[in-house]
Amino acid sequence: MPDGSFAHPQQRQFNPYTDNGGTILAIAGADFTVIAGDTRQSEGYSIQTRYAPKVFRLTDRAVLAVNGFAADGNMFVKKVKQRLEWYRHAHAKDMPLRAIARLIQTMLYAQRFFPYYVYNILGGIEEDGSGAVYSFDPVGSYEREACRAAGAAQSLVQPFLDNQIYFKNQKAAPGTSHPTHLPLSDVLSIVIDSFTSATERHIEVGDGLEIYVVVARGRSPQGIEGIRGVQELSAQPNGDRTFILRRELKKD
Amino acid sequence: MSIMEYNGGSVIAMVGKDCVAIASDLRLGNQALGISSNFQKIFQMTDRIFLGLPGLATDVTTLKETFRYRVNMYTIKEERELEPETFAHMVSSALYERRFGPYFIEPVMCGLQKTHTGEYKPFIAATDLIGCLNFAKDFVVAGTASTKLYGVAEGLWEPDLEPEDLFETCAQTLLNAVDRDAYSGWGAEVYVLTKDKVIRRTLKGRMD
Repeated sequence: MPDGSFAHPQQRQFNPYTDNGGTILAIAGADFTVIAGDTRQSEGYSIQTRYAPKVFRLTDRAVLAVNGFAADGNMFVKKVKQRLEWYRHAHAKDMPLRAIARLIQTMLYAQRFFPYYVYNILGGIEEDGSGAVYSFDPVGSYEREACRAAGAAQSLVQPFLDNQIYFKNQKAAPGTSHPTHLPLSDVLSIVIDSFTSATERHIEVGDGLEIYVVVARGRSPQGIEGIRGVQELSAQPNGDRTFILRRELKKD
Repeated sequence: MSIMEYNGGSVIAMVGKDCVAIASDLRLGNQALGISSNFQKIFQMTDRIFLGLPGLATDVTTLKETFRYRVNMYTIKEERELEPETFAHMVSSALYERRFGPYFIEPVMCGLQKTHTGEYKPFIAATDLIGCLNFAKDFVVAGTASTKLYGVAEGLWEPDLEPEDLFETCAQTLLNAVDRDAYSGWGAEVYVLTKDKVIRRTLKGRMD
């Protein structure tokens, strides 16, 4: 009763988080990195939009994929971009990838007791020209890896990647060894297969697929320019080059 | 605590060209604690029917015996061999009989079905714990690693695999899925069933 007595206790609560579904994925090659995400955004059983990007270009050599609570994700990307702009003004150059990774850790941990409900995967080219993937948990714990899947279909995709990228449970033919890095065409096939599989079996994955490819400066883009629907995003063609590749996924 | 995850374990069955495969892990656990690395979940019901029983271990043992009894009674009374599809309905009704106090098992079965022309056609099926049948054309999965199995199988499986290729696909799917599941693993076995033989292989995998 609204008489201020304690006879009838009232309870109210507000949940500031939701899960907006979707899946992201990144794979590092020797001198390139592929970062991909689907474009469906959902809440429960409802699709809010079939096109909400989860993958963002930060610099000429860094791409960030964010998955989880979309509002937090968008705000987080906005703030990372802002910090990178400040860095450019102060130092007259882009922040190196490993420094962006550490920046993301501190930005996430700064919200330790009211976290961004977001799983981040950062991909791009390291200063030594190697492809790199950094994956984060919502409070900033991170690790550099060769490949990582996150989001709604992580449990479907990650074991497939263990098998196809790390060659887990596979034995190389006598006298040979498994490659540490795959060529770009193989990586793209694995990424597309992963998303079509996840779309088939997971309701929160589908609609569209955006694949970013970052190729190290002076390295061959391995024929990516010839692929249907590829668009180059790089400002100058003699630096690190970024490409985007879009594919349709099933909409049911 | 979910009773379906109490003991852990996973099973998968796949269709190939004139053959079928079924595979499982060998772990028996008590929640996070591993108890046995030699707990079989796949049972041969007839010459050409295999049944996988992932779920609560006590019900694995009970149902294995229940189905052995029911299959024997059918064969004696009918004086003919039980067909896989008939067996699937037998499993379904046995589970639905306990609709409001179910066995905590999600059976997966595979076999070779005799057609009217006398040939053998690959057959797989799975049910939920109260017997709702799923006759898939490609593969069926169940157990604590089911989401992982779906993801890998969807990526690796293709139509009309020959027995040896089907074995490899099935084994790789299971191994890579259970390696990402804390409740499954600790060894694995695969059965490949063709019209004239059964191949059983124990797999060497991660034991952590």
